[in-house]
Amino acid sequence: MASPFSGVLQLTDLDDFIGPSQECIKPVKVEKNPGKAAAKIRIEADGSYFQINQDGGAQKLEKAKITLNDCLACSGCITSAESVLITQQSHEELYKVLTFNKTAAPSEQKLVVVSVSPQSRASLAARCKMNVLETAKKLTTFLKSLGVHYVFDTTFSRNFSLLESQREFVKRFRKQSEDKKALPMLASACPGWICYAEKTHGSFIIPYISTAKSPQQVMGSLVKGHFAEQQHLRPDQIYHVTVMPCYDKKLEASRPDFFNQEYQTRDVDCVITTGEVLRLLEQEGISLSDVDPVPLDTMFSSVTEEELTSHSGGGSGGYLEHIYKYAAKELFGIQVDTIQYKPLKNKDFQEVTLEKDGVVLLQFALAYGFRNIQNLVQKLKRGKSPYHYVEVMACPSGCLNGGGQIKIEGESSKDWLQQVEKLYESLKTEIPEKNQTVNELYEHWLGGMDSEKAAKALHTEYHAVEKTGTGFNIKW
Amino acid sequence: AQTATASDTAGVKSEHHERLVAHVLLPCSSFSCVTTLEGHENEVKSVAWAPSGNLLATCSRDKSVWVWEVDEEEEYECVSVLNSHTQDVKHVVWHPNQELLASASYDDTVKLYHEEEDDWVCCATLEGHESTVWSVAFDRSGKRLASCSDDKTVRIWRQYKPGNEEGVACSGTDPTWKCVCNLSGFHTRTIYDVAWCHLTGALATACGDDAIRVFEESSPAAPQQPTFSLAAHVARAHSQDVNCVAWNPKEPGLLASCSDDGEIAFWKYQRPEVC
Repeated sequence: MASPFSGVLQLTDLDDFIGPSQECIKPVKVEKNPGKAAAKIRIEADGSYFQINQDGGAQKLEKAKITLNDCLACSGCITSAESVLITQQSHEELYKVLTFNKTAAPSEQKLVVVSVSPQSRASLAARCKMNVLETAKKLTTFLKSLGVHYVFDTTFSRNFSLLESQREFVKRFRKQSEDKKALPMLASACPGWICYAEKTHGSFIIPYISTAKSPQQVMGSLVKGHFAEQQHLRPDQIYHVTVMPCYDKKLEASRPDFFNQEYQTRDVDCVITTGEVLRLLEQEGISLSDVDPVPLDTMFSSVTEEELTSHSGGGSGGYLEHIYKYAAKELFGIQVDTIQYKPLKNKDFQEVTLEKDGVVLLQFALAYGFRNIQNLVQKLKRGKSPYHYVEVMACPSGCLNGGGQIKIEGESSKDWLQQVEKLYESLKTEIPEKNQTVNELYEHWLGGMDSEKAAKALHTEYHAVEKTGTGFNIKW
Repeated sequence: AQTATASDTAGVKSEHHERLVAHVLLPCSSFSCVTTLEGHENEVKSVAWAPSGNLLATCSRDKSVWVWEVDEEEEYECVSVLNSHTQDVKHVVWHPNQELLASASYDDTVKLYHEEEDDWVCCATLEGHESTVWSVAFDRSGKRLASCSDDKTVRIWRQYKPGNEEGVACSGTDPTWKCVCNLSGFHTRTIYDVAWCHLTGALATACGDDAIRVFEESSPAAPQQPTFSLAAHVARAHSQDVNCVAWNPKEPGLLASCSDDGEIAFWKYQRPEVC
């Protein structure tokens, strides 16, 4: 395994294992003391660097650090050697905060919140051979035993992502005649796809991408906004961790768009993958099945502490299905109950069409994996895309097959994925419009669906990355 | 030993080849660009049609190999993006009659791919070269593959199917490819290309030492341990690196070569009477 990132990112040079010292074009800021021009540098056995002054004194030199932010802002060749990049985004970092909490003065301690994605939960359930509810309860016990205060479920915040996507689509559909880039609307929940789009197709593709935040980032707004207020805490007094099926989510959390300047804090402080949760369990020497279950935190949940819900439309969030049904009703007054997917070139490229009297009213598609993204983008460029909406995901088979999910050695990846899918689909589905808590939050926290506050909390923007030459791109 | 081999066979050359140089100018009016395939991140190194004519393979310095499909309307769609190599990919070539693809890379390996369900997968990695593999060529049957490298060797690989008589281990249902011959000591610099003539079975190489060499398999052939001997060596075939060699598919012994010197040369190769 060369890289943990999705295939899309591997191709955009994000995964070149080239030493940043040689190739990174990002100017690295190192605090330097003015001094004499010439100096000797000694490298210690542990790899640290000391500057030897002329009087013989030694001074330890700082290491240059490149953050995920630098990489996102850069189109150059980038190293993603995990040690360099993901220092802010690992389970080690969560450990640090939990350890700090144990010794710090109460006023300095952070409230630790973990939001678990339903895809991660299904992967863990399959690994531990338990049902999803049991897994959720036992995972809550385990995380709380480490010092975590609250454990939430990003299925809840996905209600907002779905509702906002639905309404955005209908708005775009209605203005398609005056705005050539209103359609097709392209899904925005997959950070691998977003990163690829920004870096490779920049200003051409960005206008098509839905501005709705992903469930992870809506959860970020909820936790650092509404929840912080409720707890009478500043956003920076909360440490918010998400558990995700995907390494690319670490990049998403690091985007400057999701950084609160006022309080100098990120909406999501740290993203750990499903696989990293398993590593946490192993480090603690705990098997999840042996843990006693506790009731679930219900503050941000749809129902009760004894039940979990999901959304229909597959393991990548169900964006296509929700938008399709909503648009059929809203735009054409047609009630759609079941959706017929038509596989095209391969199982990761499927089409859904709404017809009336032989006229195509809506044509939607799922495009998962890099090859299908590629064909979609090329079709768009040639003006040959017939679609109104495309659910784009970077991973083949979608999020349940994300790069951060647990892999089982000796088991065929197909069989394994089927088990995870089955568990994911075992939950009762909910309809976002009917979620009381969501409706109340729209009203009380956001001041209505079309308020400025709702736009800020639930939508984001994208930035084309200018191509700049790197050392390796010299044209001979 | 290397120079001795070279000078020994140098005498053979005048009898077995003649050189015709062509500077080619393509008449622009006869070609028009039908489609441009976009997707690779940077330099595209090689392109090859599958024998069926419906599939196309490309490879690039972005480390990926792409398989494209052409439909009835001359629309090209990407069927697969293969990220198996860890370094840039120099060359792609198809099996002469099956949908089996081979690629050569800066990561010192050759990889083979076939379609499985609705995607392409890497089904074999040929390890052995000690430096960049620049090119690969199948023999007429497609059961053997020649690879040439910056390590100055040409290696011949043979396919062993599961349950083969020789007892070569295979994993699962995929055949194993084993190196059965290593031609070392003949070339003094990087070997950039290898071409296996499907009419005569002669193997030609293009080398950074400006030379073209032709190898013949010694008969009787021992399939498990074939031996190849140098049949012709044109020491200064070009005044600079030879980049590519290609056998004419119809006329036995007609070889084309091209070089950094800007020339394309044509050679008539005649098999020595006794090899």
